[in-house]
Amino acid sequence: MIAAGRLLTIGAVLAAMATNVAASAQPRPAGAPAKPMRIMSMNICTDLLVLQLAPKSRIASVSYLAHDAANTVEPGLDKGVAANHGAAEDVLLESPDLILTGSFSPPATQRLARQVGARLVLVDQAENFEQIRAVTRQIGQAVGEPGRAEALIARMDAKLAQLKASAAPPIRVVAWDGGKTVPGKGTLTNAIIEAAGAVNIGATLPDATYGRYDLEELIRDRPAALLQGISSWGGPSLQDDSSANRVVRTLYRGRRITYPEMLYGCGLPQSADAAIVLRDALRRLPKQGWAY
Amino acid sequence: MGLLSRAALTTAGAFAALILLFLLSLLTGRVWLPPAQLIHGLAAPKPNLAWLILSELRMPRAVLAGLVGAALGLSGAVLQGLLRNPLAEPGLLGVSGGAALGAVIALYFGLSAHFALALPLMGLIGALGACALTLSFGQGGTLTLILAGSAVSALSGALLALALNLAPSPYAAYEITTWLLGSLADRSWDHVMLAAPFILVGWVLLAMTSRALDALTLGEAQAESLGVNLNRVRLLALVGTALSVGAATSVAGSIGFIGLVAPHLVRPFVGYRPSKLLLPSAVLGAALLLFADIATRIIPTQSEMKLGVLTSLIGTPFFFWLVVRLRRTAP
Repeated sequence: MIAAGRLLTIGAVLAAMATNVAASAQPRPAGAPAKPMRIMSMNICTDLLVLQLAPKSRIASVSYLAHDAANTVEPGLDKGVAANHGAAEDVLLESPDLILTGSFSPPATQRLARQVGARLVLVDQAENFEQIRAVTRQIGQAVGEPGRAEALIARMDAKLAQLKASAAPPIRVVAWDGGKTVPGKGTLTNAIIEAAGAVNIGATLPDATYGRYDLEELIRDRPAALLQGISSWGGPSLQDDSSANRVVRTLYRGRRITYPEMLYGCGLPQSADAAIVLRDALRRLPKQGWAY
Repeated sequence: MGLLSRAALTTAGAFAALILLFLLSLLTGRVWLPPAQLIHGLAAPKPNLAWLILSELRMPRAVLAGLVGAALGLSGAVLQGLLRNPLAEPGLLGVSGGAALGAVIALYFGLSAHFALALPLMGLIGALGACALTLSFGQGGTLTLILAGSAVSALSGALLALALNLAPSPYAAYEITTWLLGSLADRSWDHVMLAAPFILVGWVLLAMTSRALDALTLGEAQAESLGVNLNRVRLLALVGTALSVGAATSVAGSIGFIGLVAPHLVRPFVGYRPSKLLLPSAVLGAALLLFADIATRIIPTQSEMKLGVLTSLIGTPFFFWLVVRLRRTAP
C-alpha cells in the first residue's frame, strides 16, 4: 500500500517535471513576459512581499515561517496559501515556475530550480527605505505585477512624507533587547527609528552595523526609551529575563517600547507603518526626566 | 610546623589576591569610571550614575564570581580527596550537567519568560536530581560512584543535545548555546540572593568531610577501620557539591576547569593533606574566576567573550601540564 503510494508520488513528480520541461521548451512571444503561475517563495521576507503582490491563485507556496509574520502585516494575508519547508522534496513536488528566495540561498536550491525548470530570483535583504523600494519593484517585476508594486511603494512614500511633515522632538532611543549588541548604521531598525524622528544611540557607536552595548552603557546614556523586539514565530525567549534586570526594570518602567521583531527584520512597505507606530509610542513616553 | 605555616601563608596569599581582584572587578566595565568618581558616588545623593553601576551591576557580579569560583574550587578539592583521583571535578559526578539541563529546560519551555528566576531554580532542581541519580546508582564504592556520575553526565549531555535539536526557534537554540558557555554578565542581586543560600549550605556540607578525607588517603578499608563512615562522607560530598555547584551553574552557566585546577595549584604549597587543601582551594577558585571574569570584560572582542570559554581556554594547557608532570613523577 505504502509502496503503491510512493510509486504514485514519484509518478506525479515525474509527470510534473515532464510538463515543466515541455512548458519551458515552448517559445514565448517576444515582449510579452508570461506571468508565472506557480510561484514558490522560500524566504520569510520574500514571502511577505509576494503575498502582497501576487494573487493567491498564482502562489504555489510560501515558507512555513511566514504564517505569524503574515498575520502581523495583515490578518489573513496568507490564508489558503500552502506552506513549504524549503526542502528539496517541496521543490520537486510543487514544480514551481518561479522561485523567490533570499540572496543567501544555498547552491542546492539553485541546482534544484534548474532541475525543475523554474526561474530563480534572489532577493537581497532590504535595510533601508530605498532598498525596500528596490526589492518591492524586483519582486513586482518577477511575478508580473509591477503596477501593484508601484502602488505599495506610493502608499509607503506617502506615509514617510507624512512623518517628515510633522516634526518630532529628537528623542534618544536604543534598540536593546537584553543582548550584547544593538543595531546601528545600515540596519533597517536604524532606518525605522530615523523615519520616526528619533535618534538611535546605536548609530553613534564606533563599531559597524551591530555595535557592542551593555547595561553599563545603557545606564550611562540614559536613552528616553528602550525598543524591544517581540519575536512572533518563536517561543518565549530569555530576552525577557535579561531585560528584567532590576535596574532596567526600575529605570525603564513605562519606557520600554515593544514591536513585532519581524517588522524590523524584513524591509517591507509596512516598515513605514512601523515608523508611524513608533512615533506614536514615543509621543506617549512619560515626560519627567531622570532621577540621576 | 613548617608545613603548617606554609599552608597558612598560601591561604593568606590567595586571600590577598582575592581581595585585590575583587576591587579590580569593581573598576572594570564597559563604562570607565575613575576610582575617585566611584568613591564619590557612594557618598553623593543617590541614585547617581557611579552608584547605580557599582551597586547594581558590578558589585553583584563580583560577589557572584567569588561565590561561584569558591564553590567550584572547594568541591573540586573535596571530590579529588574523596575519589582519590587527580582528575575529579564537579562535572565528573553529573552535577554540572544536571544543573545545565535543568536551566536549559527552563529556556526551552520559556519558563524564564514567566518569572525571571525560573532558570536558576530549574538549574538547582536539575543538579539535585542528577545528584540523587548518581547516588542511587553509585552505591558500593568509589569506582561505581564515578561510573554512575559519568552515566548521569552522558544522559544530561544527550538530553541537552536533544533540546538543541528540537529547539522551538533559532533564537531559543542560540540562547541555549550561549547560556551553556557560561557568563556572569548582567547578573543582579536577585541572582545572588537565590544562589547564595544554597552555595553556603553546600560549603558547610563539603567542609564537614575534611577529616574523613585525611583518613581516606590511607585507603578505603583503613579509613573505615579508623571509624570513618564512607557512605556518610559520600553523601555529604555529593549533596554539598549538588547544592553549591548546582546553584553556581544555575546562575552562571557551565564553567569548567576551575574545580579541577584550583586544588592542583595549591597542593604543592600546602602539602598533600586533603583537609588543608579545602580553604585555599576555595579562595583560589574564587580568585581565578574573578580574574577570568575581569578578562572577559577587558579582552576587546566584537561579541562578549564567554566566561566558560575563557576558563576552558586557560584550563586546557594546564591539563597538558598535569599529564606531563604525572608522566615525570610516575615510577
